[in-house]
Amino acid sequence: MADPTADFFDGLGHRGPEPMLTRVRGTVRFDLGHRDGTDHWVLVMSEGNISASRGERPADCVVSTQLQFFDKVTVGEANPIAALLRNEITVEGNLLLFHYFQRLLPGPPGARDPRELVQERRQK
Amino acid sequence: MTDMVSILDGNTFLVSDSRGDIDPSPTFPTGLFSFDTRFLSRWELTIDGERLNPLSIDDLQYYETRFFLVPGEPTHYVDAKVSVVRQRTIGGSFDEQLTVLNHQGEPVELTIRMEVGCDFADLFEIKDVKEKVGAAQAYVEEGRLRLSYRRDTFRRETFITSTTPAEIDEHGLTFRVRIEAHAEWTTNLHVETMVEGAGGRDLRLGLINHTSRIKTEMQGDLAEWIGRAPKLACDCEPLGDTYERSLADLAALRYTPLAFESKVPTAGLPWFMTLFGRDSIFTCLQSLPFTPELAGPTLQILAVKQGTKLDDFRDEEPGKILHELRYGESAAFEDQPHSPYYGAADSTPLFVILLDEYERWTGDVELVRNLEQEARAALRWIDTYGDIRGDGYLWYERRNTRNGLENQCWKDSFDAISYRDGRLPSFPRATCELQGYAYDAKMRGARLARRVWHDPVFADRLEREAADLKSRFNRDYWVEDGEYYALALDAEGGQVDALSSNMGHLLWSGIVDEDKAAKVAAHLLGPRLFSGWGVRTLAEGEGRYNPVGYHVGTVWPFDNSFIAWGLRRYGFDEEAGRIAEAIIDASQYFRGRLPEAFAGYDRVLTKYPVQYPTACSPQAWSTGTPMLLLRVMLGLEPHDEHLVVDPALPRGMGRLELLDIPGRWGKIDAFGRGRVDIHHEQEVVDLESERSNQPLMQALPDGGR
Repeated sequence: MADPTADFFDGLGHRGPEPMLTRVRGTVRFDLGHRDGTDHWVLVMSEGNISASRGERPADCVVSTQLQFFDKVTVGEANPIAALLRNEITVEGNLLLFHYFQRLLPGPPGARDPRELVQERRQK
Repeated sequence: MTDMVSILDGNTFLVSDSRGDIDPSPTFPTGLFSFDTRFLSRWELTIDGERLNPLSIDDLQYYETRFFLVPGEPTHYVDAKVSVVRQRTIGGSFDEQLTVLNHQGEPVELTIRMEVGCDFADLFEIKDVKEKVGAAQAYVEEGRLRLSYRRDTFRRETFITSTTPAEIDEHGLTFRVRIEAHAEWTTNLHVETMVEGAGGRDLRLGLINHTSRIKTEMQGDLAEWIGRAPKLACDCEPLGDTYERSLADLAALRYTPLAFESKVPTAGLPWFMTLFGRDSIFTCLQSLPFTPELAGPTLQILAVKQGTKLDDFRDEEPGKILHELRYGESAAFEDQPHSPYYGAADSTPLFVILLDEYERWTGDVELVRNLEQEARAALRWIDTYGDIRGDGYLWYERRNTRNGLENQCWKDSFDAISYRDGRLPSFPRATCELQGYAYDAKMRGARLARRVWHDPVFADRLEREAADLKSRFNRDYWVEDGEYYALALDAEGGQVDALSSNMGHLLWSGIVDEDKAAKVAAHLLGPRLFSGWGVRTLAEGEGRYNPVGYHVGTVWPFDNSFIAWGLRRYGFDEEAGRIAEAIIDASQYFRGRLPEAFAGYDRVLTKYPVQYPTACSPQAWSTGTPMLLLRVMLGLEPHDEHLVVDPALPRGMGRLELLDIPGRWGKIDAFGRGRVDIHHEQEVVDLESERSNQPLMQALPDGGR
């Protein structure tokens, strides 16, 4: 069965250093509720090196939401900042780390590069 | 309509009528607001069922007002048997001390009623009236009235309590009181707002900076803020007044974004009490010599929220700096794209410009080092996603066609960019000032790369690109038959040839060829652009010119302050002085508080500057304007560890002293005396100034005075 959240966290370890996070250090725990309980993931950001593993350790920032919703976040279909404002995601601790975590997410599927749009129009 | 009275503390503010009452308005932002949400839309005081009338209003501080009122119609003043004082403060929460005085020689029994209600409107629902999706409900609880709004997981609440026990119902608080002869009765009403977050607690809770502050803290904070700013002593009274007003207003406009500890400037009351990339950066640039503490946190929050992905709804691209950040329901449910919205083509180069200017003043190399990746990403954005047409210019075209902005430059109304004959160009568009900012960002980025990031190869490349951009720009944008720079290029690369104020910013950026600068200056101060109160946004005679058109004929103080800066950069001291003098003159008509814009009517015609009908006030970059004009007139320029002072003051300005200018040099004083004659056509300097062709090194460290 497809598991976008696991795919996302597992994929982080294979990415190589993230240049936009070289000054960031901290841990973020994700508490993701579902019918049978709660899944826990811990994301470690350490000067550009990113890794994530399952576990329920204390962290600098704790993010809580439903797994089903978080699945959409990991594939870019849901925006985590808007979700925070409407309380669909809650964050405790260092909110800045939540903002940095967001840099690891893909954009909405189907989003366009403005240069391609203009080029296509010119070719028409 | 009676005049509105506002008090504010960053993005929490209250707008009421002159009685202190809030009557619900679906279309005008009256009420108590916080985080882009209205938390009180009704707050009406009656005594024995009668509304009150104002005798006077004391604007004590930006966060505090006092109303003196009497029951009944104004004609009954003389017979007032009781009077009422409402003293209110805002500082996270809202507090009102209500005092009723009995002036008679016998006791009086009164029914005092505060009618309370809330629609929990999002600021954008007031701009563009909409029915609420969620449900509001009032609850009478032990000792308090709770107003609540819920839409799915989204919850906002208002709590109202009173120190004197009240009869509470779902629509307000009632006090049945007996006041003895010549005695008074008082209660303190406390209004707390809640933005629900984790565990049902306030989203802002746990962040020290987001808890409510009591009045004494607010007083202390304001006193320290003013104490840290340079002291101005001058002969020109309007200048002194507008400087003082601006310092206090800028203090009021600061707010702490979520997840941050430091304050950054919001853009303006009442519609723009939030972070805007462009407005915040311009305000920081203007105020750096005076209140440098705003720039660092502004750069940091803009860096944290820098775009990292492609998102059409938000017009986001990797490396782009945000345009607007909101916390209300419309952002939360993605009716509006402000979480944040990235539809601005100038905020990204301006970010690099501020970073460099900030380092030049403060010497804070550490921040430049910390933001290296973000600054590089911003510079990369200019050459990639920003260059939509792939021809080496900076362009914009929205991808969010539902509620994104058509014009993604400071003149962002739909009709702001036009040809001479009034036609609107196709998209994408490349306005001229964007190219100036891109040029300046590359030049400044090169300086930072060389000095802080130790990357001379990158620095050389940026400088080569800047030189290339400058030479192409001076060819492609120069309108030969008018001898000025086109407002923009259109989608075919043709010139959008209206004569506008935008080219004033080009002087500030340094992209103007020396041999073209005099022509530009002459246009800016010529009769079609200069109204006598300042430079119009669009020249008289252009197809869309309208003296009361938002970006097509009005005079914007902020725009003028950057034009004046540009004019001095190219040595047009007299012209810069004329603009400074005109704007400072205009400030007198607004009690020192320059509005967002005033009408472009000729000064000879109106004798006083006519305020633009819905102009925002106070507005951050208007507030910063007197500061930048002071800098321009004194010729303050950091050079390594020194501050160079090279004054060029209009003669009418008299003597001017600015003491304790903070920076990497510690604190320095600057002096100037008016001696540039403001005569039209030509510059006249007196003997004293002719003797000094060199920059006047009047900067003295404190100890050397």
